[in-house]
Amino acid sequence: MTRRRWRKPQKRVKTGANRVSTAKPRVGLLHSLLRKDEKMLLAAFQRAGVEPVMLDDRQLVFDFAHGPEVDVVLERALNHSRGLNALRLFEAAGIKCINSYSVANVCGDKLLTTAALAEHGVAQPQSRVAFTEAAALQAIEDIGYPVVLKPVVGSWGRLLSKINDRDAAEAILEHKAVLGSYQHSVFYIQDYVAKAGRDIRSFVVGDECIAAIYRSSEHWITNTARGAVASKCVVTPEIADISLRAAAAVGGGVLAVDLFESAAGLMVNEVNNTMEFKNSVDTSGVDIPAKMVAYALAEAKK
Amino acid sequence: MAACPVCDAEVEIAADTVVGELMSCDDCGCELEVTALDPATLAEAPEAGEDWGQ
Repeated sequence: MTRRRWRKPQKRVKTGANRVSTAKPRVGLLHSLLRKDEKMLLAAFQRAGVEPVMLDDRQLVFDFAHGPEVDVVLERALNHSRGLNALRLFEAAGIKCINSYSVANVCGDKLLTTAALAEHGVAQPQSRVAFTEAAALQAIEDIGYPVVLKPVVGSWGRLLSKINDRDAAEAILEHKAVLGSYQHSVFYIQDYVAKAGRDIRSFVVGDECIAAIYRSSEHWITNTARGAVASKCVVTPEIADISLRAAAAVGGGVLAVDLFESAAGLMVNEVNNTMEFKNSVDTSGVDIPAKMVAYALAEAKK
Repeated sequence: MAACPVCDAEVEIAADTVVGELMSCDDCGCELEVTALDPATLAEAPEAGEDWGQ
């Protein structure tokens, strides 16, 4: 990308009610490596007759004043940190982003997600946060074994610890305190939810829950990146309701909601702001990338 | 076709391949990035970071 394609921030000018813009929306696709998910998005853009402006996060240079000449940016960065910071800088240049910086910030941090869900009364497993080993151990014993210890920023189910007893708790807390980076000094502790070998991932685009899949595994971590198998899940009114409320709690947009089926009903485990969907299109029978592209084009015209 | 930079096996490049695309070598299993087309060239893909993926 060359700097010539970047512009100064401009105020959005709404067209009058009797004026219809026929210009094609300009969509920037913020990306890193292009995975199958992004290839599917590119194909969906092509079917919609739109060629996105490719924004490779490895080549971008920001100057806090200019941005690419696009109406909207669809964020598909691999690194959460790059995506998050780029969103902030695109928004500083007056560009609408999907999802917004605020949404990415909340979804990328389990502590902030839990706080947002709690503020909006969305059911979730009970959680505690502590800043010292001693306080974390107390919090774990308050919840009762087993618990799950999670990094507040992480993905693909990495560095999750299921702690079954006090011996394991003491060992893992000490290891995190001594060997972990500073982010691991924030101890995020969640009640372990027995989930019968599966969880649900639902997909929300705007104000619609468009699809859902089950993710089944013999392992307690049911992430498809960790070998869980996807199968079709019918979007029931209950799934749609809690998914839409979770999406609204974090700020809305294009989101994937991870749900646990507990004895007390559905609970939200996580909300993902740059979800992967390659294993979910055939499984759900829903053209998820087409829905994402349609949403991006609609947002670009607003 | 392009040569795998790890094992030198020939990797098939599909017609709709784009620069930056992630693919893997069928021979050695390495993850590769398409760095150019016409002629196609491949490089080892960066290792997954702690904040990759969802």
